[in-house]
Amino acid sequence: MLGYFVRRLIMLLPVFLAMSAIVFLIVHLVPGDPIDHMLQIGASAERRQELAAKFGLDRPLVVQYALWLKAALTGDLGEAIILKQPVVDLILANLPYSLALGLSALLFSTVVGVSVGAAAAYFAGSWFDRVVMAGILMGSMLPSFWLGLLMILIFAVELGLFPVSGARSWDALVLPVLTVGIGGVALIARVTRAAFVEVAQQDFVTLLHAKGLTRRRIFFRHLVRHALMPVVTILGLKVGWILGGAVTVEYVFARPGLGSLLITSLGQRDYPVVQGCLLMLGMGVMLGTLVGDLAQAAMDPRVRDRMS
Amino acid sequence: MTLPFRVTVLSAAALLGAVVSAPAQEVTFAITAREVGTPSYNPITATRLNSANSLIYDRLVLQDADQSFHPSLAASWDQTPDGMQWTFKLRPGVKFHDGEPFNAKVIEWWVPKFAGTENADTVAKVDRVEVVDDLTVRFHMKAPDPNLLFNLASSFMGIPSPKAYEALGDKYGVTAAVGTGPFKMEKFTVGQQTVLVRNDDFTWGSDLSVNRGPAKIKKITVREIPEDSTAFLELQTGGVDLLYTVPVDFMPRLKAEKSVKVMTIPGTEIVYMPINTQSAPFTDIKVRAAAAYAIDQKSIWQSLYGGVGNTANGFLISSLQEAKVDPKFAISYDPERSKKLLDEAGWKVGPDGIRAKDGARLQVKLWTSNGTEFKRLVEVVQSQLKAVGFAADITIFDASTINAQYKKKTEHQLAVRSYSWTNADIIDWFFAARRAGYPNVSLFDDPKAEELNVTAMTKSRTWDERVANFKAYHEYILSQYAFAPIYEPANVFAYSTRRLKLPETIRGTRLTSQTILDAQVSN
Repeated sequence: MLGYFVRRLIMLLPVFLAMSAIVFLIVHLVPGDPIDHMLQIGASAERRQELAAKFGLDRPLVVQYALWLKAALTGDLGEAIILKQPVVDLILANLPYSLALGLSALLFSTVVGVSVGAAAAYFAGSWFDRVVMAGILMGSMLPSFWLGLLMILIFAVELGLFPVSGARSWDALVLPVLTVGIGGVALIARVTRAAFVEVAQQDFVTLLHAKGLTRRRIFFRHLVRHALMPVVTILGLKVGWILGGAVTVEYVFARPGLGSLLITSLGQRDYPVVQGCLLMLGMGVMLGTLVGDLAQAAMDPRVRDRMS
Repeated sequence: MTLPFRVTVLSAAALLGAVVSAPAQEVTFAITAREVGTPSYNPITATRLNSANSLIYDRLVLQDADQSFHPSLAASWDQTPDGMQWTFKLRPGVKFHDGEPFNAKVIEWWVPKFAGTENADTVAKVDRVEVVDDLTVRFHMKAPDPNLLFNLASSFMGIPSPKAYEALGDKYGVTAAVGTGPFKMEKFTVGQQTVLVRNDDFTWGSDLSVNRGPAKIKKITVREIPEDSTAFLELQTGGVDLLYTVPVDFMPRLKAEKSVKVMTIPGTEIVYMPINTQSAPFTDIKVRAAAAYAIDQKSIWQSLYGGVGNTANGFLISSLQEAKVDPKFAISYDPERSKKLLDEAGWKVGPDGIRAKDGARLQVKLWTSNGTEFKRLVEVVQSQLKAVGFAADITIFDASTINAQYKKKTEHQLAVRSYSWTNADIIDWFFAARRAGYPNVSLFDDPKAEELNVTAMTKSRTWDERVANFKAYHEYILSQYAFAPIYEPANVFAYSTRRLKLPETIRGTRLTSQTILDAQVSN
């Protein structure tokens, strides 16, 4: 298992380098730059050049990337050009909010998605299965921006159960978690149901039936372990989806977090902050995938063998 | 009940009472979309400041909605007849939030700080500052500047504590902001909120407030809510007590709320359509004029903005003297004139209603930046242009991208955009040839306009002269159809009457500390 872990880590290195290059290039290729936001309208070209030189933006892009990457590898993401604070400090101040939202949403998606998917598989073909899966399909199609406003209207405005926005109390987390989580529920439930149905058709299950085991016993004792394998993989991939979804949700709910920081900084083309946020989000996706793969390998020796 | 027990119970009750009653003095305001993400509270170097800035800093001079000037940190002022010296008597007894005194030495330090910053223009004509005595300063000018009082009243002229400013360097305005205003900055989290606490020493409010200080509100949390719908719902449910800006879309619903009061104050903004004068077919003044006369200001004002604010027929906000141009220069909807001009220019109506000339259709680019209001407006403008024979293709950019695109100079033709400014020198910013691309989106480069620009910007010695010069410059720009005026929004804000009581008349050009000083918290 340790060997597998080391091999997976080594495989992440080129992925990290490619991701960091893409992050850097995307930010710099978008029209506009932070200098636009530092100058009053009508400022002279000389003044623009002076500021570009001050922040090293006049250097070739490759040089800028190399310097940024070198510093990033030592944990230094630079100083925000517009926000004038170390990027690491800005990220650390916002990360707890994003983690609270992301992890809660992941937990919610997993618990509800696996339960609903498994129940739909248990009653596969019944009206319950059809209604639940149709509902889930609809849920997966709702844009999180729209869903967030709908949640606010129902639970905050009409029922008065939760705050409309912000992060000043624990209950302000409920609606954002539901908004991010519902999209996750749809995918996880679909994958869970499909996995259960597929495993239920395998020969060993027929054998278990032939041996006289009850349907319930087969389902909970034998199917679960096999069926949850693809779900674990999906959960790993879902980390990225949830982090991405949180960007919109943080905006709608006016919550602090990496998403809000990213949007604020992107609007001002504050390159170091945007790069730092995207790098963190990218690493979140990589980490999620790694954890998913490791969990799968731990559950299934065949996965480890394929890598050896 | 034993005595110690009673004492404990009474103390607890008193404490509970204090805890329960404390929030009555604390309110939450919200700033929305355009102001969200303002990176600092450093008025000297900032290019953007949010509404909370006026609560932290005082200025030497204040401007009222009628454009008149009022004493603030300067108790009085006068200038020599040649305009080469201005003498300001400073208000006594003023202290910064850090306890440092406000006096003539502060002004002597403050004015040179603008050199090399983006706001250097505001005091560019001040040669030097002389300290006459502890509470008197004299500005020696390089040239007369009739606009000096306007500049001193701008939000970028909030005066920071020299001690705090020098100590914090680049971090000033981010980690701390120290002024003399009615509120002290307790905490600032960019993009999220600013917490302000009352300055109990404040007793130097201006004559634009009834209450000269301290403020009646003890603590203000200014939240930043980027999504307009969320901000509106926060006000509706009592999550925030005041919205600094209310999108016109929400006004009917807010007006229907019994516990919400919507107020409008004269606007500081003009929505307009710059026309790229160097991009064919708009190199032809007749085509430019046709596009300008195709815009139905009145129908936009009524249907899109519910009759709030005013139609715009010039480039300047209507409260400025320079906006009162000869009516023959004002641009108003005239579709027949528009069609006639296009006919004269050789653009004939095709079978689909779109005009063509020499086999080329009258296909033009129409840009705007993202934001619900502009998205809807640009669609209306597109249909109005189509009614006279233009086929306009809409492209929507984010704010940073669109400015970068303008700077390319060759990509754009028409755009829907707005500016917010309360001085006629905005014409220089948007139409001076040296600023072609951005902000001179019209790429307007005309010898006569340049001559009028120089006269207005540098040769005006008195305020009246300046008004006359800028009015002539304004009229000439209008006559060249470098843009089409569309709409003059009102400043609309709303507050919860359950929590706040504001004066009926709002003084100043915006909702600023003058009004907040008079605000009372309802229990």
